[in-house]
Amino acid sequence: ADIISTVEFNHSGELLATGDKGGRVVIFQQEQENKTQSHSRGEYNVYSTFQSHEPEFDYLKSLEIEEKINKIRWLPQKNAAQFLLSTNDKTIKLWKISERDKRPEGYNLKEEDGRYRDPTTVTTLRVPVFRPMDLMVEASPRRIFANAHTYHINSISINSDYETYLSADDLRINLWHLEITDRSFNIVDIKPANMEELTEVITAAEFHPNSCSTFVYSSSKGTIRLCDMRASALCDRHSKLFEEPEDPSNRSFFSEIISSISDVKFSHSGRYMMTRDYLSVKIWDLNMENRPVETYQVHEYLRSKLCSLYENDCIFDKFECCWNGLDRQVEFFSVFHGSIVMTGSYNNFFRMFDRNSKRDVTLEASRENNKPRTVLKPRKVCGSGKRKKDEISVDSLDFNKKILHTAWHPKENIIAVATTNNLYIFQDKMN
Amino acid sequence: MLGKGGKRKFDEHEDGLEGKVVSPTDGPSKVSYTLQRQTIFNISLMKLYNHRPLTEPSLQKTVLINNMLRRIQEELKQEGSLRPMFVTASQPADPLSDNFREAQPAFSHLASQPLLPTDFVSTMPLESCLTPASLLEDDTFCTSPTVQHDGPTKPPPPALQAVKDSFSSALDEIEELCPAPTSAEAVAAETAADDSKAHPSESSIHKPEGLPESRTAESKLMDSLPGNFEITASTGFLTDLTLDDILFADIDTSMYDFDPCTSATGAASKMAPVSADELLKTLAPYSSQPVTPNQPFKMDLTELDHIMEVLVGS
Repeated sequence: ADIISTVEFNHSGELLATGDKGGRVVIFQQEQENKTQSHSRGEYNVYSTFQSHEPEFDYLKSLEIEEKINKIRWLPQKNAAQFLLSTNDKTIKLWKISERDKRPEGYNLKEEDGRYRDPTTVTTLRVPVFRPMDLMVEASPRRIFANAHTYHINSISINSDYETYLSADDLRINLWHLEITDRSFNIVDIKPANMEELTEVITAAEFHPNSCSTFVYSSSKGTIRLCDMRASALCDRHSKLFEEPEDPSNRSFFSEIISSISDVKFSHSGRYMMTRDYLSVKIWDLNMENRPVETYQVHEYLRSKLCSLYENDCIFDKFECCWNGLDRQVEFFSVFHGSIVMTGSYNNFFRMFDRNSKRDVTLEASRENNKPRTVLKPRKVCGSGKRKKDEISVDSLDFNKKILHTAWHPKENIIAVATTNNLYIFQDKMN
Repeated sequence: MLGKGGKRKFDEHEDGLEGKVVSPTDGPSKVSYTLQRQTIFNISLMKLYNHRPLTEPSLQKTVLINNMLRRIQEELKQEGSLRPMFVTASQPADPLSDNFREAQPAFSHLASQPLLPTDFVSTMPLESCLTPASLLEDDTFCTSPTVQHDGPTKPPPPALQAVKDSFSSALDEIEELCPAPTSAEAVAAETAADDSKAHPSESSIHKPEGLPESRTAESKLMDSLPGNFEITASTGFLTDLTLDDILFADIDTSMYDFDPCTSATGAASKMAPVSADELLKTLAPYSSQPVTPNQPFKMDLTELDHIMEVLVGS
């Protein structure tokens, strides 16, 4: 139940939210930077914990509805409170997280501990005043968006208008207004009239970061469709279809399965998008539909193991990917965003690819192999053949230790990496 | 009988492939390709039929596995196109039901040795080791799900759900059967595909809705047949074999094995040979005549009065 199922920084990076299989959301807050200690950024400590979703039972189908949090998305901050959307398979909730650091004291009829005073002892009247108290963080559900999805919700994405958002399940995408919970508009429906003809499902969807009428959705066949909501109410016909022709030399029984896209993320500029399939990360230029501009192999050594991975279901693991944020020291140069992409792998490894230098690195998130405050040692996986010193053989990889969720601070080089049960926060070495 | 038939097909298939091989050097790699394909095929079937989750299984996973099965089947068909029995002229444009029917021979050789697990069967729970009917049961669970997986885990309250579910789903099936018997399969599939209100339980329990629909149109109909009601009404969830045999001798009675978990193992093993025979009769996978989806429909119509009597009576 403590399996982490989603990780997301808020827009400022001060808060980091995680959702888990038990329906809980845990929010971490970065300590205010100590100006004198310039060699260390603030640490993240637990800020708030609340139960977002409870398990439910669908009586019509006689099935349990998991409380696992599939996605969390933060709203940009508009006032003192923070808002986030969290979703399980069926229901999306808008949570308000607010701080309380004062409380009224000096009631006339109540003691400080809440007990009622004997009215006969009240001889004077006083006005209650607010006095400081220990910080209390409260989370309350403000909206519940339910009963709009027959299938399992895999994505939510807030529009750049900050008023609407989309939620996508296996076959449909719905558009919501954040204020309205009893109505949503269906904007994509790929359910065939005859379910036997179903061969493709929606795997992820995201709004364009700048254009509020544009969104993309990816499929289990490795295609991405870009749709424009201005074209029609039901965006069943895409405006653009991104698909790379299959490489005939790599054809296998599992070609389709490994081409299934598990995550899609726009770059901050909106010019590029990144997709993750089972073995690779691809960068697409929105202006070019017939192939990605870059492809990075995450764990090509698994290609010869696909049959075993199919048998043990690992081939269906859904890895996410993320772009780096803006490097604070050079934030005037927007080219620095999008220069690094990160994604997870097995054996608690995660990978980073530098798009400019074309270098890549494999790092490990584990307590045993890394002491705190030491630089992570790069790892290398070798094939089943000869193994050099310090290399790990592909046959000794632990496929139960998978890093599916990673997140990058929007402004600093701080990353959050979730292993099955633990959250690791790494920062780059500052000199 | 069924098992031998299945094996024969496999052997001939393999022999045929080897016979077709152009050069001797191609032989081993072709065979290993075939073996791998068969392995993947079996694994895929295992995944689809043995999964008994408490929550809905992932639609994406099911679709991908289904596509895999379809592709392998297409390959098999193309390769076996020389052989008449692989050619089904009047094949319904229904790959999923093809999968279902073709799945039977894959497991049919298991049926002949119900207590002898093969490599794959050995990883399955004991109940499903016993018969291929247990695999069919998973399709049956599309309409009477809670009986199956709630049986061992959560006894009485979901049992009530099961009665209601099979009841309501069967009612729906009956309604669907009435208007258009010949197109009932499509209709049943359609209505089952309608996820929401009216036809709640009949579609996706183990699998996302629609996928097993037409392929298990037969099983759906089976569920709607009176035997089910009599069983659930009178004995709880124990199958009443004699009643089934009397009423539906020509129909695959293995569909009624919806609850091996709670029924006595004796009953389960007793059902094995019956179901294997019925599999042969009703699911002639490689025959060129259209498989009998229509026959059960016609028979069901005649039993509708009986069903209504039981419903009204209970």
